[in-house]
Amino acid sequence: MQSEVKRDVDGILVAAHDLKAPLCLVRQLALSLDLAEDTAARARIQSQIVTTSERALKQIGDFTKLARLEDGLFPLEPVSVRGVCDEVYRNLEPLFRYDHRQIILKYHNRSRLAVANRELLGSVVHNLCTNALHYSNAETVSRLEISDRGNQIRIGIRDYGPSLPTKVWRKISRGGIDQPTAVAMRSGSSGLGLYFVSQFARYMHCDFGATRHHDGTSFFIDLPASRQATLF
Amino acid sequence: MIFIIEDDPVMAECMALATRRAGKVEIRIFSDVISAVQALDRQLPKLIFLDILLSGPDGFTLLNELSSYDDTSKIPIVIVSSLALADVKLSHYGVVKILDKATMTPTQVTDLVRDFLDNARLSISGGSTDA
Repeated sequence: MQSEVKRDVDGILVAAHDLKAPLCLVRQLALSLDLAEDTAARARIQSQIVTTSERALKQIGDFTKLARLEDGLFPLEPVSVRGVCDEVYRNLEPLFRYDHRQIILKYHNRSRLAVANRELLGSVVHNLCTNALHYSNAETVSRLEISDRGNQIRIGIRDYGPSLPTKVWRKISRGGIDQPTAVAMRSGSSGLGLYFVSQFARYMHCDFGATRHHDGTSFFIDLPASRQATLF
Repeated sequence: MIFIIEDDPVMAECMALATRRAGKVEIRIFSDVISAVQALDRQLPKLIFLDILLSGPDGFTLLNELSSYDDTSKIPIVIVSSLALADVKLSHYGVVKILDKATMTPTQVTDLVRDFLDNARLSISGGSTDA
């Protein structure tokens, strides 16, 4: 009983820390507005305030979804995986560029539909890509790839940076992350993001996995392919 | 030269902006401990702003490393972190100040650098008088 309470408190601490990081940043950026030397610098800071606030709101939105999972409010239906990945790619590509990184989107499939929930799948892909953004080294190219695997469709994201800690990799391999876990002691770490991915993937009956490389990590989720015909 | 070791590029930029207002000073930004240590081998900074939660080796690892050598142990360090470290004693690691990311202000950073630059100037002019 005590260990469960301790585990919950640890999870809350990690989550609180992840949510605190963007708020600290927004505060710092707002205070820095007066230091901006010209209109362009001021505009850049304002844009960073918006982007960082959106990041925080996204995390809070995912928490809300998590709380609503039990209510079964996310129906599983045929979803265009390409459509979801395209949208996430469009939203995140500028952030990668701003951070001197790159992300590319590749399709190796026949554009089939998957059985999933569009909203949750969007969060899954977004969190995996954000994780790649945080953990890839500068000037590297992360790859978001969609491929067919028999009756499943795989969405994979490969990043080039520090390898995933064995402790976290084991948790993912043994069925998923049951509480927010610090991936590395890092502010704004996507430990929380991987927790969301794990929970949402489980809800959608998808397999979530990771492969450690000497120069980074590949995360993937395998979605059941829909038998419904697609026109895309 | 001042080192800013911070893995969030936006936060690093805020720190650099506040530091520049203190006067003419060269700034180098590092996102991880390893690249900062490599740079230390080439040139010793006069002051380091250090984040603790970094990917790879964390800020405490760098503190251990710096305190292990005569030349680097003398570099003053300002910790900038969102961890509650106010009550932690780190002065024996050369930590002169701990700033909390949740409460610090750019003015605080500017004043700190300005004070540091003034003191550095005083010690230089004091040194030349003695000579």
